[in-house]
Amino acid sequence: MTMAQTELKAPRPETLFQRNMKLFASSKLSMFFLCVTIGFVVMAVAAPLIAPHDPNEADLFRRLMPPAWMEGGDWAYVLGCDGLGRDILSRIIYGSRISIFIGASVIIVATTIGVLAGLAAGFLRGWVDVVISRLVDILLGFPYLIFAIALIAMTGPGLQNIVLALAYKEWVIPCRVVRGETLATTGVEYVEAAQAMGASKSNIMLREILPNILSPVLVVSTVRMANVIILEASLSFLGLGVQPPTASWGAMVADGRSFMLQEWWLSTFPGLAILLLVLSINVVSQGLRDAFDPKFHD
Amino acid sequence: MIRSSTLLALALTGAMAAPVATTAQELRVGFPSDALTLDPANHRNRETETIIRNMFDGIMTRDSEMNLVPELAESWAAIDPTTYEFKLHEGVKFHDGSVMTAADVKFSLDRMIEEGAMDGQTSPRQSLLGPLKEVVAVDDHTVRLILESPWPILPAMLPFQEIVSKAHVEAVGTAGMAENVNGTGPFKLVEWRKGDSVIMERFDDYYGGARDIAPTDKACVERVIFKIIPENASRVAALLAGDVHIVSGLPTHMVRQVEENPDTTVMAVNGTRTSFLALNNEKGPFADIRVRHALAHAVDRQLIIDKILDGNASLTNGILSPDAFGKNKNLPAYEYDVEKAKALLAEAGYPDGLTVTMDVEGELKEIAEAISAVASKGGFQINVVVGEWSMLKTRYRTPGSPIDGEMWLTSWGNGSLDPVGIFDPTHRTDDRGNSSGYTNPELDALLDEANVETDRAKRAELYSQAEAIVNADLPKLYLWVAQDLYGVSTKVSGWSPSADSRINLHDACLN
Amino acid sequence: MSLGKFIERLLQLIPVLLGVSVIVFVMMLFTPGDPVDIMLGDQHVTEEMEQALRRDMGLDLPPHERFFKFLGNAMTGDFGLSYYHRQPVAEVIASRLPATIELSLAALIFALLVSIPLGVLAAVRKNSFLDRLATVTSLFGVSLPGFWFGILLILFFAVNMRWLPVSGRAGFESEVAPITHLLLIDSLLRGRIDAFWDALKHLILPTITLGLPMASILMRVTRASMLDVLNRDYITFAEAKGLSRTRILVKHALKNALIPTVTVAAIETGSLLGGNMVVETVFGWPGLGRLVVESIFVRNYPLIQAAVLFYAVTYVMLNFFADILYTMLNPRVKL
Repeated sequence: MTMAQTELKAPRPETLFQRNMKLFASSKLSMFFLCVTIGFVVMAVAAPLIAPHDPNEADLFRRLMPPAWMEGGDWAYVLGCDGLGRDILSRIIYGSRISIFIGASVIIVATTIGVLAGLAAGFLRGWVDVVISRLVDILLGFPYLIFAIALIAMTGPGLQNIVLALAYKEWVIPCRVVRGETLATTGVEYVEAAQAMGASKSNIMLREILPNILSPVLVVSTVRMANVIILEASLSFLGLGVQPPTASWGAMVADGRSFMLQEWWLSTFPGLAILLLVLSINVVSQGLRDAFDPKFHD
Repeated sequence: MIRSSTLLALALTGAMAAPVATTAQELRVGFPSDALTLDPANHRNRETETIIRNMFDGIMTRDSEMNLVPELAESWAAIDPTTYEFKLHEGVKFHDGSVMTAADVKFSLDRMIEEGAMDGQTSPRQSLLGPLKEVVAVDDHTVRLILESPWPILPAMLPFQEIVSKAHVEAVGTAGMAENVNGTGPFKLVEWRKGDSVIMERFDDYYGGARDIAPTDKACVERVIFKIIPENASRVAALLAGDVHIVSGLPTHMVRQVEENPDTTVMAVNGTRTSFLALNNEKGPFADIRVRHALAHAVDRQLIIDKILDGNASLTNGILSPDAFGKNKNLPAYEYDVEKAKALLAEAGYPDGLTVTMDVEGELKEIAEAISAVASKGGFQINVVVGEWSMLKTRYRTPGSPIDGEMWLTSWGNGSLDPVGIFDPTHRTDDRGNSSGYTNPELDALLDEANVETDRAKRAELYSQAEAIVNADLPKLYLWVAQDLYGVSTKVSGWSPSADSRINLHDACLN
Repeated sequence: MSLGKFIERLLQLIPVLLGVSVIVFVMMLFTPGDPVDIMLGDQHVTEEMEQALRRDMGLDLPPHERFFKFLGNAMTGDFGLSYYHRQPVAEVIASRLPATIELSLAALIFALLVSIPLGVLAAVRKNSFLDRLATVTSLFGVSLPGFWFGILLILFFAVNMRWLPVSGRAGFESEVAPITHLLLIDSLLRGRIDAFWDALKHLILPTITLGLPMASILMRVTRASMLDVLNRDYITFAEAKGLSRTRILVKHALKNALIPTVTVAAIETGSLLGGNMVVETVFGWPGLGRLVVESIFVRNYPLIQAAVLFYAVTYVMLNFFADILYTMLNPRVKL
């Protein structure tokens, strides 16, 4: 029986994935935060249209201008200005691009590598498994931040290097998950059936096993994405964030931290932006998890 | 949740109900970094020196106005250009009760200048003593320092070297010196909690320190603690919360918070660190003097001082601090003039403006961005790139290899306020701090001449000429000398900060 | 667990440690910035002096020789001298370690105390308002940049309310002679209640800052595994037998549900030990994380090498420990 023949047996019954997504969609809390997340993505994409000012337009005479509702504020600069007189609202809007870009690109790179490596290790076993598993062990033995700091110290700060420094280790997490799941599925009937039919190894891995283990990967990736956004802020705190004048939430919070006692708006608004985005991603991830894990179905 | 909140509540009430009784008068200083060692001869680190200088005294010291005065010495004299004689105070005691003699002074200096003198290691401070060749203990209270060649700044360099006990070093060895202190300073070591604090208590047999700095008695407070708090926001919070009484390295934008708090004030002292933009004189746009001049007219330095540094800096038109020896007070200023900047740029072949990259360390990012914002009106589009100091140093300051970069916002400290510590390294051909790749044989000759000139007036005149040359050539855009800012509790009296960034607590009292 | 398995585990350490050493070494080799240069800073020095310093620090040797020298010495427990402290690296690390361990343990305990009751409650009342509230609030913990949250805590509890100290580990007066080097335990052992309170006061804010993200993770794990257990047959059976709900929860469900929590907690403790540098910097906590970050910036190679090896060993050991715990709590699992 070839793939073409399988396709003929229409209509295909609802897949597990589809069923789970429906279940996910039925949770109001998850949907709400999914909308918030999408809202942030829209904000990032449409930043030039939404932002009231150029995020990098500095004017020392506007230094530390308070938010509009406070004394000395100006409605043209609703959330106030930073130490160089740049509009905080505009920087937050543009900053969403950086945070989302870093979060998404690190996770995409890491998940792709991790899934492939995990599949290979779990399915092919043998020396491939030994090499990959040892590599995972070695990388896990490094504390995350130290690794990232050392890498950035090596390559210099900058958006690209931050993504690399974080993705370098991030892939081991999906890799571990996928390897475990793959090990669990190799004995399952449909895989054995495919093997019996003489499907190639890569075919089995990508067409049979991968779709069935996507759910845990999705859950893990969303949680990790939230984590990566926080890590970017930590790197900024340690002085290894994005290059100026690029607005990033992490850098804004980090640069504004010593103004916190008086000019609290410098770090509070970007801090709240991080909180809201990361919280949304986490809630969505929790919803996905609840929906995907058959254990939680009543 | 219930359990944990009760625990927290319990902890809080307990914390308030049982305050730790402070029995002794304890002065706490919030300080950004820990000492690396307690051995005065085994480091090259300003912060380490600031901390341990409270436990060790030197032959000479400086008062808070930066005047050089004898400390362990009673008096001193230059016998000839290569021989200096110091008479020591009698009855000075080490913390263990033994009496300090000229033999200890000789031993301490020998330990720094002799190869392998520290159990096979050579002191990293060796070069701070320049051409010091030999130390002779003439009698118990007289030492002679003999130089290989004339070096007029020897007395000015002596405040940086502390005296240790010969017997003690021989007993504990170099390894033991890292953690055991037996000095002649006003405080003795109680405990060094690494990474956390250095705790000292008053040495009751203190001889009183420099006679020219009143009071000449034992220290006022019973205990002193240097608390290590690296994060600026936390350090200032500790001052505002009353956890510490003095904080160093107060960032300018936090000055207002400290001033508005009724229990704290700000103390400022002119620093010794000159900030400048090192321009690449070897190649690229800044090799053209017109572009350098254009930049000088495009950067409104006073505006940045007023806005970003809150006025806590003084403008300088040359490399020397306004307080330095030999400062040329009549240097012309490059006034802020956008049109002039544009005209000069056009003349140099950049009628549409010029795009350059400014390298900077993370700490100075805000200033760099401010300079970039200000200079944009004068035709300069400056992209700020943050890098690590170590890498920037390699790129800009590897003697003998070409400068890799266009401009670097940096600074050079000069604790002795003598031009030799700042002018030579930053401007002489191929010198270690010449981050502009500047070469001017005329200037090199002037500096060499000043280096060995023993007549003070003549020497000052030579530096004046030198500064006029660099002001015209502008290998660097000289910016300002920032003030060192300290947040101080109103409970503290008798203490004032000093320009060499030392925090001497001998005279500080706590009310 | 058999002896054979134990030895196998120990043997697995070797490639990991070797790999970690190689990676660190190669990274340091390709990192620009010269430790001698950084050390000398702006100060006067002659060419010969610089060479002498380089020789002193062992940096005059070619890289491969340096690596094998390091490996050889490391096997005998000698990690060299820290460039800056001019003291053996092992000593420098040992002096900072107790602070890091104390803070990590405190954060772990805090996280367990918060997460287990919350997780159980959320599972028992699944989909209730309480569950949602617990979920969302627990997620706050992982959604805040740690340094920002830490400074907020300082501003409120230390500066405004003056309840708690801003930084450090303990005041001078609460000095106790070390036994375990963990201040909370030592002060109790020595019967110094005042010192105990002082140490506790210093510990509260950093513990919350460090422990909160972990509490969030553990709460979610507990909730998930509790839900899982509650659906099992034996619980349904116990309910059918008419046992009280509380009794079922505590006696049957909780014990089984805690297995994954404990496992995850052990592994997360590893990342606590390594993830401390931000919290340690904010609270001036004299721990290892801060020291390592500072060392990276000044290229203090011997210290970085030794610290990273230490982290790797700790990580492997904690995993090992988690496995043992796992077998103990769940006798059906055979390692």
